[in-house]
Amino acid sequence: MRIEIQDLHFSYPGGVEALKGVSLVVNTGEKVAIVGQNGAGKTTLVKHLNGLLLPTKGTVRIGDWDTKDYPVARLSSRVGYVFQNPDEQLFNKTVYQEVAFGPRNLGYPAEKVAELVKNAMALTELTGKENVNPYDLMPTWRKMVAMASILAMDTPIVVLDEPTTGQDAASIERIAHCVQVLHQQGKTVITITHDVDFCAENFERIIVMGGGRILLDGPAIEVLAQEEILATTYVEPPQLTRLGNRLDFPHPVRNEEEFLDMYRQLHRQRDRA
Amino acid sequence: MRERLFLYIDRDSPLHRLNPFTKLVLTFALILIAFLGPGYYLATAIFILILIPLSFWGRIWREFVSTSLRLLLPFFGFLFVMQSLFYPGGQTVLVNLWIFSVKAEGVGFAYLTATRILVVVASFLVFLLSTHPSTLMTDLARRGLPSPLIYVIVSTLQIIPQMRVKAETIIDAQRSRGLDTQGSLRKRVRALLPLVGPLVFSSLVDVEERAIAIEARAFSAKRPKTSLVEVPDSRAQMIARWVFVGIVLLAIGSRIWL
Amino acid sequence: MIDIQDLTYTYPATDSPALKNVSLKVEEGEFVAIIGANGAGKSTLCYTIAGFIPHFFAGTLNGKVEVAGIESQHSTLQELVLNVGLVFQNPFNQISGAKFTVYEEIAFGLENLGIPREEMIKRVDKVMALTGITDLAKRSPYALSGGQQQRVALASILVMEPKILVLDEPTSQLDPIGTREVFQVIKEMSNRGMTVVMAEHKVEWIAEFTDKVIALSRGEVLLQGPPAEVLTSPLLPQHGIGISRYTAVARRAREENLWPAALPLPVTLDDAVAGFVGGLENAH
Repeated sequence: MRIEIQDLHFSYPGGVEALKGVSLVVNTGEKVAIVGQNGAGKTTLVKHLNGLLLPTKGTVRIGDWDTKDYPVARLSSRVGYVFQNPDEQLFNKTVYQEVAFGPRNLGYPAEKVAELVKNAMALTELTGKENVNPYDLMPTWRKMVAMASILAMDTPIVVLDEPTTGQDAASIERIAHCVQVLHQQGKTVITITHDVDFCAENFERIIVMGGGRILLDGPAIEVLAQEEILATTYVEPPQLTRLGNRLDFPHPVRNEEEFLDMYRQLHRQRDRA
Repeated sequence: MRERLFLYIDRDSPLHRLNPFTKLVLTFALILIAFLGPGYYLATAIFILILIPLSFWGRIWREFVSTSLRLLLPFFGFLFVMQSLFYPGGQTVLVNLWIFSVKAEGVGFAYLTATRILVVVASFLVFLLSTHPSTLMTDLARRGLPSPLIYVIVSTLQIIPQMRVKAETIIDAQRSRGLDTQGSLRKRVRALLPLVGPLVFSSLVDVEERAIAIEARAFSAKRPKTSLVEVPDSRAQMIARWVFVGIVLLAIGSRIWL
Repeated sequence: MIDIQDLTYTYPATDSPALKNVSLKVEEGEFVAIIGANGAGKSTLCYTIAGFIPHFFAGTLNGKVEVAGIESQHSTLQELVLNVGLVFQNPFNQISGAKFTVYEEIAFGLENLGIPREEMIKRVDKVMALTGITDLAKRSPYALSGGQQQRVALASILVMEPKILVLDEPTSQLDPIGTREVFQVIKEMSNRGMTVVMAEHKVEWIAEFTDKVIALSRGEVLLQGPPAEVLTSPLLPQHGIGISRYTAVARRAREENLWPAALPLPVTLDDAVAGFVGGLENAH
């Protein structure tokens, strides 16, 4: 399911122009991270994907649907949006009911709903907690319930809004695992995040936003090399990239594997020298 | 809903500078006099001769007029129609409209009620437009109003608009899960729990954390509290407050004896 | 300053204790970090030091908890908050709601303590300069960014001049800018001699500023010691505690003899650079 945004402008009532002509295409199955300082327009942009916001000017297409023509409830069958604060979504007595809410709204028959719920809960490591009240779980697990409730909707596109804020290492691993599995299933995953390390390690394409515009859009390695532009929107390179830069690596690295590969090479070169 | 829950307009005026308790006493005094005092046109007199001049004195007459009209005109219209046509015991017919007749007693009653209600609304408006809730609460605290009560009133004023923001996020989140918030009445009723549930639960979580936060600021300390802001008062105003009380008693008295 | 011996605490209506046989000591002026997976007991420990356990949260508390010379169980919350300032994760919920401007919000605690007005003004001005929020004085606390709100929360606690500052993941809801602003203030307070206990996930920051790190796992103390030791321990990943990426990559490099075996594993960027540069230089 292709996402096509053309010359998107958006102003909030009250006059603030939050998006000043954004154009981009996301093809089926891509993993895209959107970074940039608070106020750059990341959330505003992403809320256009399921119709929560409609363009002041320009178009947003999800597949063959123009978002202007469909209500949010219908667009939610194509775009699953995981909000940041799980407590602003959870209201059911059991985890099962909570996770089943989305697919039921989409009109799936009961057996299909059960299957979707089972798979979503397995992916988020919630199996066994079906009859637990979500508010009896710790905040980290409530986050998993919120994620499962969107994953169960089995949408071709999944949007994660600041998924790692306030999470511990184990939870971030779980979320990264979900992203991987979704990608393997051929779904498009889009995330907004402040966590550049999470972004570099899990997403191939990075979009950097600043002042309502897209400043950079491309493969992670290229984007992360542009330190001056990143600095204008208060984005620091990921930790291992910074380490590589300090060691004068010929090109930036994104994660442990790439770092070690590069370091081994340099080591061998020195050895021979 | 407005951005904030109170009506205060920041102007530099003698009315603004008056002690808030003085204004509070005056407000209640005017209302009691309007309802209990003698004379058919007493409320009208209070409105024209006291409240309107006060609004000029407070440099808030524009907001005063526009807000009063906005709040009261529809109500007055309804009141006059209902009472003129259906006042029980009405005899004197002024004019006949189709099958209805407008009776003088009804019109008279409507006018009396309307002007009294006008005094209630207008007095509070003059008070609220010229008094910041923080100033009022600080003064009442000094006069002995218990601090938990003050905290509840002030924090409610500030938190409710924030809850509106939260409610909007919740609506967005649930719509994104396929919740249909438009359509038949049945659909909208079913949409209530997914909207109200998270609002209540997340607010309860917030309330507990906020309670911890104010405890950490020694809110329950058993010592007399001091105040950063000093609200000025004067002997003249204190005398004026007693004069207001006196006039109220006179008004009640004149009702009984005249 | 803080002396905890054999602390075991169970929340009301729960079966298993949130903290089990926890013992630790914090000297005056020390900066101690508490790390652990979510649910390991970091917040519980913070609330215990601040006195909210057992006085706000009920539940069963066994063991000795002595903070600034006072035994928590034998005192009252009102007494204990005078010595210990508590700042927690959510910046928004720390705005009291009792005041309409930042200046008054910060003075709120002093009003409750009955501090005279001139003294209040002096302290508030000082603490606003310290936290870099002097220009926010007249604004509504609700109109600020998360980082600004968290600094207001810090200022509102610091103005009460507590002996100990306890922070429960103060930057976890903040963006990188807010995080840096808040850590700067905390670092400054520690430099000035304040005793600080901070629960945190952001391991690189901990390595730079703290004197001691306590690692919790499932309610028990897993490790206690200097940051260099604790933060590079292989036990951390086994107990779900996130470690610095520098440590992780150096550990793997060491397995391949690419990191000098004698050199301790790094936690910060500078340490990692030094080690890896050294590794390249020794490669002939």
